[in-house]
Amino acid sequence: MTEPYDDDGERDLGGIDLSRVWTGVAAEVWRRHPGPVERIATRALRSPGLARALLTTPSLMLPWLISTAVVFAVGGLINFAGGQSLVWLLGPGIAAVGIAYAYGPGADPAWELSCSMPVSERMVLLVRAVSVFAVNAFLGLVVSAITYAGASPGARPVNAAAAAITVAWLLPMTAVCTLTLAVAVTARSAAAGASAGVLAWLAMVFAASSASGQFTAAVTDSSTYLPYLAVAACATVAVGYATRAQRGTYEY
Amino acid sequence: MNIELTNVTRSFGRNRAVDGVSLEVGPGVFGLLGPNGAGKTSLLRMIGTVLPPSSGEIRLLDRDPKNAAQRREIRRRLGYLPQNLGYYPAFTVVEFIEYFALLKDMPPARVPKAVATAVERVDLGARARARLRTLSGGMLRRVGIAQAIVNEPDLLLLDEPTAGLDPEQRVGFRALLRDLGQTATVVVSTHLVEDVGAACSEVALMDAGRIVFRGIPAELVARGEGHALGDAPMERGYSAVLQAARQGGVAA
Repeated sequence: MTEPYDDDGERDLGGIDLSRVWTGVAAEVWRRHPGPVERIATRALRSPGLARALLTTPSLMLPWLISTAVVFAVGGLINFAGGQSLVWLLGPGIAAVGIAYAYGPGADPAWELSCSMPVSERMVLLVRAVSVFAVNAFLGLVVSAITYAGASPGARPVNAAAAAITVAWLLPMTAVCTLTLAVAVTARSAAAGASAGVLAWLAMVFAASSASGQFTAAVTDSSTYLPYLAVAACATVAVGYATRAQRGTYEY
Repeated sequence: MNIELTNVTRSFGRNRAVDGVSLEVGPGVFGLLGPNGAGKTSLLRMIGTVLPPSSGEIRLLDRDPKNAAQRREIRRRLGYLPQNLGYYPAFTVVEFIEYFALLKDMPPARVPKAVATAVERVDLGARARARLRTLSGGMLRRVGIAQAIVNEPDLLLLDEPTAGLDPEQRVGFRALLRDLGQTATVVVSTHLVEDVGAACSEVALMDAGRIVFRGIPAELVARGEGHALGDAPMERGYSAVLQAARQGGVAA
């Protein structure tokens, strides 16, 4: 039998390193088990870091999601009551604000630290922007579909059959969101991006309704689709350029 | 050499924050001293691959950070604590450190134990599951240090790491620095000369974007002999070197 205490009065446990044992125990106790969304994102993106970066998107946080759902629901109710397709007009503006606050030095508190990480910032931007867009598009489509299906045939919005539960308003939403993103990453300001996107969209709504006399012309008038595509294409190129040689960061 | 800088400059508009710095640093603890606005943070951000230089060459860990693949490899082996640590208030200590371990491309299986080790090294085991918003400034600083060392970096950059730490924690932190410096290159930017004297094997003093002194702490102390300004020997050396540099001659 060996003496249970060594010369320093420490307990001799047969060569067992207690601090190492404790670290192993702590690792198990503190281990965080990813939720289902994170597991799916990890598999889809093939990167646990990118998946976690996606979940830290400010405009995918629960309070933000609840606010977005409430705004869409109110839009749906107004639709329902007045026959005006407000959801279509709200969708691009709401998504634009969400996109602007998905990424960047003004929106992400740990942005400086993230810039020193091997996971590409451009990938983080792309994944977050696409996710915010998808969530907003989903919510908008759901509210549009419910509103349309629940209304009596006489109260259904004008042109709703073609547009309400199709992707007609997703085109202007894409254009506004890419424009917002381009301004946000170029100016390195979420507020500037959001302001530019919302103002551009309001201008479009008023211009289209003034020209045609129809309130929802910005989403229902097919002559606007080509300009939307052009704006989306140009803004995408601008985002690519701005993130390739962003001021103050390395090129990707 | 883990850090090789050749005539590196960095300008922000008309202001030249770093002005022709050349530096080679190997393993050990390297102190970067200087008054506010001397260019320490800009230099550290460039070494941290967060900020590209306006001109000059940087090589880190025998790699070129201008090359995307090599920059990614550098970042995997890098630990960085920015001057202003941004954080997610709703994250726990463990979640925050784990997040950056994943962003550093660490194999997920290794992460829990690495996180537990880092948490224990900064003595935050008792607050491992506390939300960051509930922590004091000193504790947040230690969380920042833990995320920087979680990947056992070969190159560790710490910008004002002891800000907010109490005297007992600073003593413990200096011991941690000496320990880390046995295998890695640790660069500590600070304006607290006592930290440098206690923990650093080598020191550089910056003023107006230039390195005006480089040597071992004892040499800096020797420069202060007979100088009146300063309460401690190293403070006198610091003041003497700065005064000499500002009177025209760079004393390095």
